[in-house]
Parts: sequence; C-alpha cells; structure tokens
Amino acid sequence: MAEALDLANLMARCALRDQRAFAQLYEGSAGRLYAVALRIVRRHDWAEEILQESYVSIWNHIEDYTAQKSAPMTWMTAIVRNRALDWLRRPDLERGGDDYDLLIQTVPDEARGPAEKLQASRAAGALAECMEILSPDQRQSLALAYAHGLSHAELAAHLREPLGTVKTWVRRGLDRLRGCLEGKGETAA
Amino acid sequence: MRPRTEEMRDALAAEYALGTLRGRARQRFQRWLASDARLRRRVEAWQERLVSLDDDLEPIQPPRRIWTNIERRIGGTPVRSGLWHNLGFWRGATFASTLAALGLMMTLALTRAVAPEDTMLVVMQDEDNQPKITASWNVDDRGRKQMRVRVIGHATMDPGTAWELWMLPQGDAKPVSLGLISTHETQDLVVPPELAEAINAAKGLAMSVEPEGGSPTGAPTGPVLYQGQCTRL
Repeated sequence: MAEALDLANLMARCALRDQRAFAQLYEGSAGRLYAVALRIVRRHDWAEEILQESYVSIWNHIEDYTAQKSAPMTWMTAIVRNRALDWLRRPDLERGGDDYDLLIQTVPDEARGPAEKLQASRAAGALAECMEILSPDQRQSLALAYAHGLSHAELAAHLREPLGTVKTWVRRGLDRLRGCLEGKGETAA
Repeated sequence: MRPRTEEMRDALAAEYALGTLRGRARQRFQRWLASDARLRRRVEAWQERLVSLDDDLEPIQPPRRIWTNIERRIGGTPVRSGLWHNLGFWRGATFASTLAALGLMMTLALTRAVAPEDTMLVVMQDEDNQPKITASWNVDDRGRKQMRVRVIGHATMDPGTAWELWMLPQGDAKPVSLGLISTHETQDLVVPPELAEAINAAKGLAMSVEPEGGSPTGAPTGPVLYQGQCTRL
C-alpha cells in the first residue's frame, strides 16, 4: 500500500529529527486522527487539545516506533485513542457533569452507524468479513465501544441491557473476531 | 493479580485495545505493559486488527492553529527579541512553594531515575500562592531529556489564546520562550541541551497568556498567570 509505505518513510525521517518530514506526516494523518479523537470526546476543543498533545508525543517518541511491528497509522491511532480515553477518565467527567451527560446522549444518533458503515465498506478487508460473522449484538457492541470509547457500563446504559450481558457480548465478540482473523491467516502488517 | 493464562492475557489486551478496559483496571494493565514486552505485542496485534474499523471514517481537517502550536512545541528554538518591562512581577519563591516542592520531590523520586544534576523542580503558582503548574526534567527510555510539565487541576484556556512558558534567566537577561503548553495534565517539552543548562541555572519559569500561536514579539505580551522559582532538590 503506497500510502502506508509513505508514512513509514516519513516516520523514519522524523526519527532523524527532520521537522519537514514531520509536517508532511501531520498533513497525511491529522484529518483522520482528529476524526478519531472527535468521535470519542465529541467536543472540538477537547479533540484539538488531544490532537496537539498526541503529535507532540509522537514527535518525542518516534524513535521508539522503530521497535514496533505495527503500521504507522496503527501506532499513531493508539496514541490518540489512549489520550482520548484518558481524557474521558478526568474526574470532572466521571462525576457525571453536564458535559458527560451530553456525551452519552449524543451517541444514540450514530448508534447503528459504525457497524452498518463497516458492512458497506468498500475496503472489505479481513476485519470487515470477520465482523460479519459476529452476532448483531456482538458486532454493535464492539463497533460502539471502539468508535465512541464507550465503557462496559456506558454500553449497557446505551443499549439498555444488563451490564453482564454486554460484557459477555464484548468478550465473545473479541474472541470470535480473533478466531476468524487467525483462520484467515492474519497477514502481519 | 496478574493474569496467569495466555487466554486471560489476550482477553485483557483485546479489551485494552478496544477501549473497554477502564479505570483502575486500565491503569493496572498499563503498569504491566511497561514491563512486559510480550503483553505489549499482544496489544499491538489487537490494535492492528481493530484499526481497520476506522477505515470508513471521514477525515476532518483540524484548525490550522493546531499545527502552529505543535510546531512551536517541538521546535524548541526560542525567539530572542522584544523587551521585558515587567521583571518586577517575579517575586521569588515563597515558603509555600518550597513546601510544595518537597512534597513533589517524593513523586519525582518514584517516577524515574534522573541524574543528580537533573533534580530540578519548578512550582509555578498563581497570585494566591496556589500551585498551578510544575516543571521538572524527565528522561525518556532513550535517555533523552525532556521537560515534564504538569498542569494541576482542570485548567481552562480562553478561546483564541495560548499559554506560553518562559525561562527567566539569572540577572537582567530577557525571558526566553520555551514554547506553548496546553491545559493537558502531563506534557513533555523538547528543550535544546544548551537551553536545558540555562534552565537549571535560571531564576525561574513563568507562564503568560498570549494570542493564538504564541507571543508575536518573542517576549511575554499578555498577563503572567503563574510563576515559580527553579528549586534544586
């Protein structure tokens, strides 16, 4: 994949402290990563801050990336997702303030979005195929948790199902997903 | 208790990558990750599997200022110009900041081993002597020195403004910009080695409110919100 090769190349130059390469890396990835952060925290100002911190962190730790096997976008996405999930853990949110309620309320609008969009995905990769074999409940739980950063409890509240049921959907869903992907030979990235 | 079976380890790695491992379980898992390369591989494998879920995500162009801020944060090349008319604002360390420094020293000692010459701590306080931002040296896994900035409490920044960090050199020299910071609770700033030495010998650090993108003159232009003395521990 040309794009992936390109990012890997840029990452290698960034590791040599090439700031122009970093600007290109930003150009080539910020739109997607901003969308990733925004979908989880659902507020532009928060997503902006997460994005900014993430890129500073990416720059500071880019040499560590060479030791990784994952693709550049996977590595950068993980950094953004971690920061976004940490953000949701902030005490003022956990207390259940207005922001938090807003966060939960706005999710239903897209409730069936990610899974359905995934099915319709033109990039019908191995993951999309394996998501197909899950039960609709499992598929929806995984898609919602990943896309919006919902915890088990938030999933349960959103889907109006008992916590235990939702936990089981997630666990079995992940289990079947791994089984399916391994069955497909799971090409290393 | 650490998970014993490979199945349990993989199940935790999966939930961590998915994002459903939260709260204390997540923190505990992150501690295990730090010392367990095989567990890290499992997480990476799951991240690689799940990342395709984003393939249909429409990219959203972030505001231009984000890149401007990032560039200033990573550049570390301070602009030396402008005038510093207001050095008198800086009042020196109070007893309270020394106490705060001693309290934080314990935390520092536990976080990472740093060379003795790097045990520096700045506690920046507001007008009421409340600690607001701390700065100390942090050495990453590769031995590179960074300034670890911690923002205490849940600070908010007015829209259209930026927070700029300044070093206040010894004597009458002008403040030197260390770059922009955000309200995020933990941040690492890249500081050129020659500047790092100057910081160790500096009077202190200060944080001023500047227009978006930072001070246009290279010297603080907005109100100085927080300031503190460099304390050697």
